[in-house]
Amino acid sequence: MPKPATLVLFGGSGDLTRRKLLPALYNLALQRLLPASFAVVGAARSAQSDDAFRRELHDAVAEFSRTKPINEEVWGAFARNVRFVATPDDAGYDALRAALDRVDVEAGTNGNRLFYLATPPQAYAPIVRAIGKHELRGPGWSRVVVEKPFGRDLATAMELTGVVHEVFREDEVFRIDHYLGKETVQNILVLRFANGIFEPIWNRQYVDHVQITVAESLGVEERADYYEHAGAMRDIVQNHLLQLMALVGMEPPAAFDDRAVRDEKVKVLRALRPISDREVGARTVRGQYGRGYIEGKAVPAYREEKGVAADSQTESFVALRCFIDNWRWEGVPFYIRTGKRLPKRATEIAIRFRIAPHRIFTKDASEGLEANELVLRIQPDEGISLTFGAKVPVQGLRIRTVNMDFVYGASFMVDAPDAYETLILDALRGDATLFTRRDEVEQQWQFVDPILGAWSRGVPALATYNAGSWGPTEADTLIERDDRAWRRP
Amino acid sequence: MTTGIDEAVWGAPVPSIAALERELARLRRAAGAHAKEQSHSVARATVLNLVVYADRDTHALRAARATMRLSNRHPSRAIIVYGDREREGADVAVQLHCHAPRPEESSQVYYEQILARVRGDADDRVASVVIPLLVPDLPVFLWWTGTPPEEARRFDDLLAIADRFIVDSSDFARPDRTLPVIAALAATQRGRRFGVTDLNWTRLTPWRELVAGFFDVEAWRPCLDEIVGVRVGFGVDMDGRDIHPSQALLLVGWLASRLRWRSKGSLAPSEAGGLLFEMARRDGARVDIRIRPRFERGIEPGDTSGIRLQARHAGSLFEFVLKRAPDPHHVTAAVVVDGATRSIRVVPLPSAGIEDLLREELAIVGNDHVFEEALHALVTLA
Repeated sequence: MPKPATLVLFGGSGDLTRRKLLPALYNLALQRLLPASFAVVGAARSAQSDDAFRRELHDAVAEFSRTKPINEEVWGAFARNVRFVATPDDAGYDALRAALDRVDVEAGTNGNRLFYLATPPQAYAPIVRAIGKHELRGPGWSRVVVEKPFGRDLATAMELTGVVHEVFREDEVFRIDHYLGKETVQNILVLRFANGIFEPIWNRQYVDHVQITVAESLGVEERADYYEHAGAMRDIVQNHLLQLMALVGMEPPAAFDDRAVRDEKVKVLRALRPISDREVGARTVRGQYGRGYIEGKAVPAYREEKGVAADSQTESFVALRCFIDNWRWEGVPFYIRTGKRLPKRATEIAIRFRIAPHRIFTKDASEGLEANELVLRIQPDEGISLTFGAKVPVQGLRIRTVNMDFVYGASFMVDAPDAYETLILDALRGDATLFTRRDEVEQQWQFVDPILGAWSRGVPALATYNAGSWGPTEADTLIERDDRAWRRP
Repeated sequence: MTTGIDEAVWGAPVPSIAALERELARLRRAAGAHAKEQSHSVARATVLNLVVYADRDTHALRAARATMRLSNRHPSRAIIVYGDREREGADVAVQLHCHAPRPEESSQVYYEQILARVRGDADDRVASVVIPLLVPDLPVFLWWTGTPPEEARRFDDLLAIADRFIVDSSDFARPDRTLPVIAALAATQRGRRFGVTDLNWTRLTPWRELVAGFFDVEAWRPCLDEIVGVRVGFGVDMDGRDIHPSQALLLVGWLASRLRWRSKGSLAPSEAGGLLFEMARRDGARVDIRIRPRFERGIEPGDTSGIRLQARHAGSLFEFVLKRAPDPHHVTAAVVVDGATRSIRVVPLPSAGIEDLLREELAIVGNDHVFEEALHALVTLA
């Protein structure tokens, strides 16, 4: 159980707070996982009363909580320690300090403070500086949670870290990559390092290639303002996809703690083979969706979305051919792709093994046989499946690939907790294992920056794909050049 | 039943694919929990995706029944697309239903049935409903009921995701027109991703085995190169109106492709919906082929009723005869030399219900080259 603390929520009642943070806090309360003394202080520029803030959060929880209906008793007790302070100026921040001191006494939170930056990114630096200037750090521990995006390139990420370090030590900084909070992502490490049978074959001798897919069927929706400036590379690849790759590729850590795990991840990120200007045409694909159909409904092209420029060059799809240059992975391609308006929502990691070295069955008998594949499904339908060849139950020999399927929900009969529940709890406990460290973020940008640079010069050209397809044909070419094909997730 | 959907069969409507997956997950969990109480376990042992396209609700229902009965051998996720073309021009609407065995049905194997009813002019969006429903990693079998359209986006889009394509040429309205289309598909796809099959070909399997069996006898094998006549009979209804010669034609196509006969002249209609034509043997000699409909009780229209191969060898007339006797569920195989019966045996015909045929076909993932060659030979006749 975490120690008593106050969560200071900057960006009071923004979208993230409403959709994710408050429902997560409420569900933690429901599971009796919050500290015995716990308070939430919301801070935003425009003023509102404590009661108005509580009402707003109540409605958000009622709408977005994974458990319904809302338990009013639990919510009532939780809401008693919810406050709001307007911070439009210095006076506001002073009022916030006074409020925090008061909460420490009233709610008994021992001066422990978790600052959560749930604001647009341009507000991160001013808020952190204000925390320092107005001495908002309490007498207990202080930590800061920073949402993505952390910078928009290496220079801005380093600059932001510099600002944060004016007020917080690196071990007090919790950079969120919510993918790492997902049960099945953590399960990558459990699968690899709690079992004896996978690690021995987890290398170039047995693995033919790896495919990582993060597919969304949604379009840009209401986020055009942000997305137009980010694109799929900054939105998904730089953080989530590279983190997934690091988890799949890392060496066994000596312990399951924040230092050992992140040390190993950063080694993988450092070993990523840079994509040079010369190779950027052959190893990267960027695409943008046109019109098409999703689940039977006609959807507009990216450039027709509200808030998107008619000549936008923003990519909504990325495919990369990556290599990790170390002993374990030399020569094993990691094909990674992400996109919006793909046929379905699916995140998965597929480890494709090499085919059996010697075929003793006739071609006719083994026509339906493919190489073994281990698939980690992150969402939806969380689980793990392993394909292998089996004899079809008929007279004579006919081999077919079948699927051994482990479905999370069916085995444990409980809903997996939401990623934010896990991450908020870890931050309250001070466990940074599932958060991104400074050197990881910087390595990720270091890999991504040159690609974005080449793209901004028009190399390769922006490809288009129909909404509801699996991306541009250029992405198929990227992998077919190696005599391989994308999976159908 | 053109507007209503029988929810007892298909389950209640669900508003979206995400909701459908949630509902299926709930059903899975219920089945699992129930099974634990009964101290056995339920396997989600799905081995394939079966996509069925039906233009008529009777076809959709038939497919639903067949996939349910197949679940023991081929537990599948069946996605039945019912293209309700009667509402063409109306607002496009997709309606989803899902069904799984109820816990009390105590089935040890779990299957899932999804109905996607697509109404109105929705040709280009059918695939966008099917693709997200497919279970990853498993082969996709596309079973197209009725006559495949010659030009339709829904057909091309669904073919593009299929590993195997199943039709039933006995359903074709005009087999003479559609079989060449299927042959062309098989030809262009050869070496590419999907295999083509025809359930009518599966119905022929026991007949082909019996024909081949004659020539396992060494003394009669030379007759294969000296065939002069082939007669194939196929079932027809009492009024002689329902003429479906495609199965008989496939059999001739098979003989022609195996024995390397060439077509010679075109198909000529003969009496009562039959066909009469000639082919040329490898040595150039003539083979007379006669296909004719016969009304016999217990034989489905289009199904083979009998085969007679005639060969002149060593100065004698050899006749290899297969006929449905003593009843429609048995075949009597006889060899007759100059009018004298030399060999006779009776074998049972396996039942050929739609799920029996599918059970066979779903076991095969690759291409069926023998079928493709038979189809090709058949098409050169037309």
